[in-house]
Amino acid sequence: MGLLTILKKMKQKEREMRLLMLGLDNAGKTTILKKFNGEDVSTISPTLGFNIKTVEHKGFKLNIWDVGGQKSLRSYWKNYFESTDGLVWVVDSADRLRLDDCKQELSALLLEERLAGATLLVFANKQDLPGALSKEAIREALALEKIKSHHWCIIGCSAVTGENLLTGVDWLLDDIAARIFTTD
Amino acid sequence: MLGCIWQYVYTSFLRYWLKWLIRQATGTCELQRICSGYKPGATRTTKAEYSLRSSKNKALRGALDTNKDQLEQCVDQIMKVKNVKPQKDPLFKESLHVCLLQITGYNRLYISVEDLRKEVFSSENQEHEATLLKLWDLLMPDVKLESRITKQWGDIGFQGDDPKTDFRGMGMLGLINLVFFSENYTEEARQVLSHANHPKLGYSYAIVGINLTEMAYSLLKSGALKPHFYNTVLGTPELQHFHQLYCYLAYEFDKFWVAEEPESIMQFNQYREKFHDIVKMHLQDPDVSLTLTVRSKN
Repeated sequence: MGLLTILKKMKQKEREMRLLMLGLDNAGKTTILKKFNGEDVSTISPTLGFNIKTVEHKGFKLNIWDVGGQKSLRSYWKNYFESTDGLVWVVDSADRLRLDDCKQELSALLLEERLAGATLLVFANKQDLPGALSKEAIREALALEKIKSHHWCIIGCSAVTGENLLTGVDWLLDDIAARIFTTD
Repeated sequence: MLGCIWQYVYTSFLRYWLKWLIRQATGTCELQRICSGYKPGATRTTKAEYSLRSSKNKALRGALDTNKDQLEQCVDQIMKVKNVKPQKDPLFKESLHVCLLQITGYNRLYISVEDLRKEVFSSENQEHEATLLKLWDLLMPDVKLESRITKQWGDIGFQGDDPKTDFRGMGMLGLINLVFFSENYTEEARQVLSHANHPKLGYSYAIVGINLTEMAYSLLKSGALKPHFYNTVLGTPELQHFHQLYCYLAYEFDKFWVAEEPESIMQFNQYREKFHDIVKMHLQDPDVSLTLTVRSKN
């Protein structure tokens, strides 16, 4: 039995997952985290540093890390990569001006060695806003089709209404579970 | 369990018997004893609030939700119900009136603060825009803003090149607090900003300010700020008093941050919680007064 198998078995026993949520500032990361956890989302202020919440969902213990997205904090993102099972990339679908910025940050992340094994979920957030781009438009703008290195999926959602948050997280869990909890 | 039973027995029976007994012995009602026994401030007002809230009499309980202009009538009504003679206790009327101004004022203050918080910053609103530009001029008097959308906003601690999305859940309340601090304590605000721009111990001035507005707001909402306002405002607390409290938090948080020397801005939430605990601890003290004690322009 190799070390990897043992590690897999240990994880299987705990059924614990580590999710890292990143994206530009004002994408809605903290709102997603709080909404998913059933908290009030009307009084959120910008995140400095990070928030972490442990949530039980579908028999898994999810450790969700929400790290601030402002430019000066992005250099710290790398400190949170270690043993990430799932990367949640949050996009403000109404922020057309910064889509390019958003694309570049995401492609840089996907080159990171320590994120190589992680499943990628892209949330095209703020679908409730009138000016929001569709998830198809976001898929194109971020050139997601070109990603071969990671399992990925894009879901249109609204953190404020909670629409599709569960759909996204459920897909992510299924994909991770299929990868790490099935031994050989 | 025993504590629960005792609590129940006490609030439903014992408290009334005890009050009746003391009333017979001293000839004064509980409210009178509170008003004459404690100096004006949190202890007196908190006790009066509790007494009114647990009263069996509708007029007394109703006093807690009375409009400001009907308060005097309300005090007369209470004196009638409780049979308090102005000749015998001439100070009672005024004392109770002040208590009620404080108690009902706190609830009204929360409503005004909530209204401001819900007012979303809008670039189409000229007043909002002017307030934002005023913040820049107050903090950076020697530097001209090159344009409305510019990276310069980062110099006073906003996240990107347009601050409008940074106000988020705190709305105009966050901006007005920032401006109030810079306007009324200009020197202190600039000093705090210079600490925030320290290459190693720095933090995002405006964003931390908005986070501290959230702290002030949640303390107000939970009622935790009652003792502070009961001690510092002998009348109706107004919005400016809330802004004053924000100034205290902004100034004290900066001192705390500089003294603690956190490793990096990524530790912000830990230190924010630690600071929050310190503030809550102060608020447990009945003599609490969270006032920024420096020389002010006004």
